[in-house]
Amino acid sequence: MRYKLGIDIGGTFTDLILISDSGQTTVHKTLSTPNDPSVGFINGIRELAEMNCIPFDTFIKLIDTIVHGTTVATNALLTLKGAKTALVTTKGFRDALEMRRGIREEQFNNRYQNVTPLAPRYLRFTIDERIDAEGNVYKKINEKELLPIVKKIKQEKVEAVAICFMNSFKNNIHEKKTLSFLKKNLPGVFITASYEVLPSIRFYERVSTTTVSAFVGPIVANYFNNLQKKLKEIKYSGSLLIMQSNGGVVSPETVQKNPAVTVLSGPAAAPTAGAFYSKMLNYKNCITVDMGGTSFDAALVIDNQCVTGTEGNINRYRIALPSLDIITIGAGGGSIGWINEGGLLQMGPQSAGALPGPVCYNRGGEFPTCTDADLILGYLNPNFFAGGKLKLDKAKAEKAISEKLAKKLGLNVLETAAGMYRIINSNMAQGVRQISIERGYDPREFLFIVAGGAGSIHSSEICKELEIPMFLVPNVSSIFCAAGMLLGDLKHDYIRSFYTTFSAMDKKKFLSLFNEMKEEGLKTLANEGVQKNKIEFYPVLDMRYSGQYHEVQLPCLWNDIQKLKFETIFETFHNEHNRQFGYALKEEKTEMEIINLRLRVVGENEKPTFLSNTQNTIDAQKAIKEYRNVFIPETNQMEKIPIYDGDKPIYGAEIKGPCVIEKITTCIFVSKNYDCKVDHWGSFLVYEKNSKTTNHMLRKKLLHAN
Amino acid sequence: MPIDKILVSIFQRAFKSITDEMSISLTKTTRSPILCEAKDFVTGLYDAKGQMLEQTENLPILSFSLGPVCRVILEQYKKDIHEGDVIIHNDVFSMGNQNNDVAIFKPIFFEKTLIGWAAAKGHQADIGGAVQGGYNPNATEVWQEAIRIPAVKLYEKGQLRKDVWNLIFANIRLQMVQEDIKAQIGACTLGERRLQNFVAKYGLTIFEAHKQALFDSTEKMMRAEIKSIPNGTYKGSSMVYYDGKHKGSKFPIRTEITVKNEEIIFDFSKSSPQTKGFVNGTYTSTCSAITLTFLQMVNPNIPHNEGMIKPLKYIVPEGTILNASYPAATTFGNHLCPQVADAIFKALGPAVPNRITAGWNHLLCSLFTGIHPRTEKKYVDICFLGMKGGSGAMNGNDGYDHIGMIDASGGVLDQDYEMYEQQTPHMILQHEYLCDSGGAGQWRGGLGTITKINLRGGNTTMVVFGDGDVETNYGLFGGKGSVLNKIELTYPNKKKITPMSKDLLEGIPDNTLYYQIAGGGGGYGNPKKRKKENVLQDVKNEVVSKKIAEKMYGIKIK
Repeated sequence: MRYKLGIDIGGTFTDLILISDSGQTTVHKTLSTPNDPSVGFINGIRELAEMNCIPFDTFIKLIDTIVHGTTVATNALLTLKGAKTALVTTKGFRDALEMRRGIREEQFNNRYQNVTPLAPRYLRFTIDERIDAEGNVYKKINEKELLPIVKKIKQEKVEAVAICFMNSFKNNIHEKKTLSFLKKNLPGVFITASYEVLPSIRFYERVSTTTVSAFVGPIVANYFNNLQKKLKEIKYSGSLLIMQSNGGVVSPETVQKNPAVTVLSGPAAAPTAGAFYSKMLNYKNCITVDMGGTSFDAALVIDNQCVTGTEGNINRYRIALPSLDIITIGAGGGSIGWINEGGLLQMGPQSAGALPGPVCYNRGGEFPTCTDADLILGYLNPNFFAGGKLKLDKAKAEKAISEKLAKKLGLNVLETAAGMYRIINSNMAQGVRQISIERGYDPREFLFIVAGGAGSIHSSEICKELEIPMFLVPNVSSIFCAAGMLLGDLKHDYIRSFYTTFSAMDKKKFLSLFNEMKEEGLKTLANEGVQKNKIEFYPVLDMRYSGQYHEVQLPCLWNDIQKLKFETIFETFHNEHNRQFGYALKEEKTEMEIINLRLRVVGENEKPTFLSNTQNTIDAQKAIKEYRNVFIPETNQMEKIPIYDGDKPIYGAEIKGPCVIEKITTCIFVSKNYDCKVDHWGSFLVYEKNSKTTNHMLRKKLLHAN
Repeated sequence: MPIDKILVSIFQRAFKSITDEMSISLTKTTRSPILCEAKDFVTGLYDAKGQMLEQTENLPILSFSLGPVCRVILEQYKKDIHEGDVIIHNDVFSMGNQNNDVAIFKPIFFEKTLIGWAAAKGHQADIGGAVQGGYNPNATEVWQEAIRIPAVKLYEKGQLRKDVWNLIFANIRLQMVQEDIKAQIGACTLGERRLQNFVAKYGLTIFEAHKQALFDSTEKMMRAEIKSIPNGTYKGSSMVYYDGKHKGSKFPIRTEITVKNEEIIFDFSKSSPQTKGFVNGTYTSTCSAITLTFLQMVNPNIPHNEGMIKPLKYIVPEGTILNASYPAATTFGNHLCPQVADAIFKALGPAVPNRITAGWNHLLCSLFTGIHPRTEKKYVDICFLGMKGGSGAMNGNDGYDHIGMIDASGGVLDQDYEMYEQQTPHMILQHEYLCDSGGAGQWRGGLGTITKINLRGGNTTMVVFGDGDVETNYGLFGGKGSVLNKIELTYPNKKKITPMSKDLLEGIPDNTLYYQIAGGGGGYGNPKKRKKENVLQDVKNEVVSKKIAEKMYGIKIK
């Protein structure tokens, strides 16, 4: 027996999923150890060995691959606890990083402050050098100018340095010289240059991304060094791969070159898993949602590919690297209910988090949260939360809702809780709308996959608001991200700026830039042990009609690029523009231009097989644990409905709504207008009964897939 | 009908998401940088009576600019409004705010009943008139500035009126404007569909009742805000310099604000009579300026609908500089916003000292046109990056650095430097915070900037418009003002030229140095009371010099 292991370290829990080569899965949750996350990491492995009744030393030898997602970089950015960072940039441009192009996100709020720059002004140094817009050296660099900077950096005990010069995307000679000079003179300091991180046009995006990379660099490097050391200590000899923001995995060595690729390492796994699941179910497109304690993430999968964008911000810091397009809104189990000055009930974005947490946790929380409402509405079982590990205090939750909200609204506790439920559902539906409708996609045509412990209590209402006819709760819903980590391929993204119209294009240069990126990718993948026949190329052109400002990232075929089949590319561009913006300028014969060339090089990773189960199935009726009063949104009242034990083997069963399906790690509410089918992998498919909006064809296809 | 309070919250969010979605669509589809980069547009939803359901005003100066036009359209067409109609409008003498700001209105029907309007208004790259781009410092009447478009149907019952379309665009220079108007129509269609779906879900009766409940709740919030201001009449004033025609001319703006329990009246009757040039406001632009200033003094989370505006009363008599009579030139009108804001802040300062800011930097802006030698194509570029100074400080926080004029409040973004150097022949030499530009105070004013650009390509044309080069902005309660705005050209022969604040320069030669200072914001409170660590931090970061630290803040640093 050989194993693959996925490990996702979150704020409260570290999730593990172990899959054997025959497809058997073991799922485990252990407490995170925020001070040194690698402790929880190793603890989890030990506990898994025990669960499988294998001695630890034997067990560790059976594991071939560990894939790991981490929030180390994310948290460093969110809490501003990264390295002490300096920036070396072109004379005259000291403040671009801090100015952020002069934006104030809240225009009517005069108390709204700018973000703290990741490199403070006194650590932003300028050099009298200049590359012009065409890439010529306009003012040659004098490395002597770097000497006083080196001195100051040592004096100030700077831990990381970012280098970013004007127009270096055209000519990186000055950045290269500076990088090698500083590396020589500043041993032990983490140093990175923009040409390594993001060699593309747009100074602000580049300087910001490079500085983020430097800011999180030393912490990420330390973390992985420490982790690799610990893995060595326990004699782990398999490979370690890291989840990146783009949904692919890479070796820790590659991450250390550009640590910014891990800022979305955790959440990126959900859509990756979604892509896999939907494919398994014969579905091309899906939306994945993940409702945690404080936030709700939504992402899209189109044609079995996760949607990637370069518009990312974390904590208002701009990161222009290709990342999965994930919308995060402040809605989770811990979201707090409050009343605004106009007397209207609001939910979030403030959250009680895991500590003190919701009032019903009885850990000192005072403010009524979404989880408190879910408890009062009967969705949550006070004695079976996390399988009974945490007893929920309903009386306290009722008191808090009554005092803080119900009295002011002139409603009773139940009405108020129902209101909280509806409002947070509406907020989450808004997040789904942003990721789908606002991107030009109709969410009704997507399989809706729900991850996270709390999500499946709310999903039937989210779906109702958006007229989505069905949703899927995977058997590993609560550790969906950990599962997703085992499903990612090795992915490397490269970019070259190449600003030209098609008519004036230097075709030789066009091809040689693509080849350069290809070779770089092949080399990196070879180092990661990927065989040549497992490698594929996905080129993208950043294009627009001449005269436009915002470009479209247009995926192309590698073959079309190599053979310079521009007519095909033009056709695709017109179609894509039409789809996104409702019109194309094909008839007008408007000229088109390129801004950037991108190449994604993918090394296929062997995927685990998930075992489907048909044996030992019991009749669903036998899985009914009890009947309980639960709030039914359709009738707006509490009704006594069956509660099923979702951990019983009820594969293939069809369960009528309304009902609640309780599992140790999650809870599913099937509302009155819905029914549920359990598939042979133990996932739950919940669909609208007899609704006009249900797309029968799609549903049939999906049910058939089982 | 019983009101479901929860549903009211859902309505508010749904309306907001619709107008936001319309804005996203416009940002992505438009071509003129004024729209897709500076986001000088507003999208809104109105009910059948022309009451605002919600709006997304990407630039706050457009916060009042759609409602009055909607009511003009309703009055003009009465029953002659049909599904599939598209109405275009810009006329400043029938409630338009600025000639360049062209509005598209699309009626929304549900089961054959008019239930509302989707609207989008954006600043067009050209609007006809004597000078490309519309800013004509020599204009004395509207026809020298723009083509007037009173409300007229571009589409009737879904049919394009090609003759009307051709008539309008035959009078506008750039093809781009047609494309951008198409984008605005698209955004309205989006709003129409979304609102129809929404009403279909709940039915018309529930929609009407809960919409009203939303207005009432918002109005209640606004009235509570007003009530927290002590009753009384408050006076404030500010000065506008140079009308583009008479050197040394100046024009006072005067306000008298009366707060009476839950109502507030902004009376600008005593402001200067209108000017002979284009430095004149319109009723709508002035009301927008008043609204946005007041919104910055209240809870920023108040929904933007009819209930928000209802308790505000505006008195802006015709014939004044803030509401010029037909057929005056008015293109500069939106840029009187800083002075209107100053007057309001100064007036209300003594009553609500914790809600107002010290003076913001006023706009002084330049626009370059020429031929790019590398592409041999014409370029137009507004120098957004150079024009943005700092905001005034408040009690409790420093001003915002490099935010730009209050009319935009951080909504206009700088060009990206590298994109700028690709799209124009010019080379940016410097764009940085200006040391000591933040007005000294216990709370320091936001920083201004210094910009140096090597103007290349030869034969460049430059239009300058703005103010803030005569009188510095003001500090409050012991805080100090900042530095003056300045633009200066140094020609290759070393000749220096300082343009007027409203000016047009042609034939600027290759390798001319463009130098611009955008001043900072005013400080708040006695500088001597500023926390020492903040002063030391500012000195360490070289945004306050040691000299000023000693002279203004009384902190000596070796």
